[in-house]
Amino acid sequence: MKRSRNRNHKKIEITPKYFLLALTILCVLLMVLSLFFDGLFKPLRNFANSFIQPMQKGVNTVGEWAESKVDALKNYDKLIKENDELRDELSKCQTELAKYQLDSYELERLQKLYKLDEQYFDYSKTAARVISKDTNNWFDVFYIDKGSEDGISTGCNVLYGNGLCGIVIETGKDYSKVRAIIDDTSNVNAMILPSEAICNVSGSISNYNKGYLIVENIDKDASVSKGDQIVTSYVSNKYLPGITIGYVTEVKYDSNNLTKTAYITPAADFSGIQEVLVILDTKKTVIE
Amino acid sequence: MIRIITLGLLIIICFILQSALFPFIEVSGVVPNLMLILTVSFGLMRGRKEGMLVGFFCGLLYDLFFGFAIGPYMLIFMIIGYCNGFFHRLYLVEDVLFPIFIILADDFIFNFITFIIFFVMRNRLSFGEYLKEIIIPDMIYTSLLTLIVFKFFVFVNKKLKKIEKGNES
Repeated sequence: MKRSRNRNHKKIEITPKYFLLALTILCVLLMVLSLFFDGLFKPLRNFANSFIQPMQKGVNTVGEWAESKVDALKNYDKLIKENDELRDELSKCQTELAKYQLDSYELERLQKLYKLDEQYFDYSKTAARVISKDTNNWFDVFYIDKGSEDGISTGCNVLYGNGLCGIVIETGKDYSKVRAIIDDTSNVNAMILPSEAICNVSGSISNYNKGYLIVENIDKDASVSKGDQIVTSYVSNKYLPGITIGYVTEVKYDSNNLTKTAYITPAADFSGIQEVLVILDTKKTVIE
Repeated sequence: MIRIITLGLLIIICFILQSALFPFIEVSGVVPNLMLILTVSFGLMRGRKEGMLVGFFCGLLYDLFFGFAIGPYMLIFMIIGYCNGFFHRLYLVEDVLFPIFIILADDFIFNFITFIIFFVMRNRLSFGEYLKEIIIPDMIYTSLLTLIVFKFFVFVNKKLKKIEKGNES
């Protein structure tokens, strides 16, 4: 019995060496195909996602639940104190809000008066939940649980907390892939606010571990100082203008003495991202 | 047959755990590499071919979700699985230290190749910093996880062997 099985096996048995060779060729072939014809593997990716995603969501809720319990135990005292403080602040804010509401009515009136385009101020947004994160430590790419069915398309900006968090780089039926601005391959065209100097914010893992994003190649004559706000610029072709990215914490002259490098603390806290806001308008529709 | 199903399930479970649960247990921004542990374990316990195949599918899953193209991680995982098959002969079930040394080396190689492909090509050359910030923490965390997970894989492998033996005789 055993022998005949072995013989049966022998027919399809290939030595590992050739097997490796065959698979390597397959890999290279796939690599070339997927690099040049990106759409080819879209159905496959969609299939894998619709299969894996529900499970990821489930595991995610478990993780969130466990984390919230641990956090609750850790922070009980702190939270009570914070709650009191927040209550005070809320009442203060409410009075302020009433004042701003008045102001905003006035603004609206004035805008109508000047026929200013209001669309810059109210983008339509949708909230989404982060379901999985890049399993590798080198990149910051994550998945959210809403996709083209909810109106998200490639190029949508993603917000978290007080500022810009990333950009949608791929969408499927009910998922989309977001690249965070702290990812090493991310570049955002930005503007330093009081001086309106255009610059480029690039993510970098080695700097993000220290808590910074960096802005390179600022002209040495541009006035940049600590505490300046960095927002997305009007000239960027991907990001909507005026979204806060972060605040300058340090400015250094480069060794060539022609340019400066600024270190920015991002406005969004990336350590515990769970829910994000996606702006459904992309830059193009704003221009059109 | 049962082996194929079990391994398929293990690969999917590891991927889901790593992408959905591990971000919650990260330490200083680093998560352990469970897929690598899986590949290395089966390469060690079962030899070149199985290590290679497990690596192939781990990499496929990774590339489908997070790769910019399908292929590069498949290739890395596959080759690591294959190379670990060579240590199959040296492997003893009781030995705990040996897999840990292997995983340390493999994790370093894995991260080093990633660094070469995705970072050196873009002219980010400060290897020392990446070594300190990512590679070494990752190696330590992954090898610590190996202590626990490897035992489980050995257990699964034993069970599989028993079932297969039962089927044959």
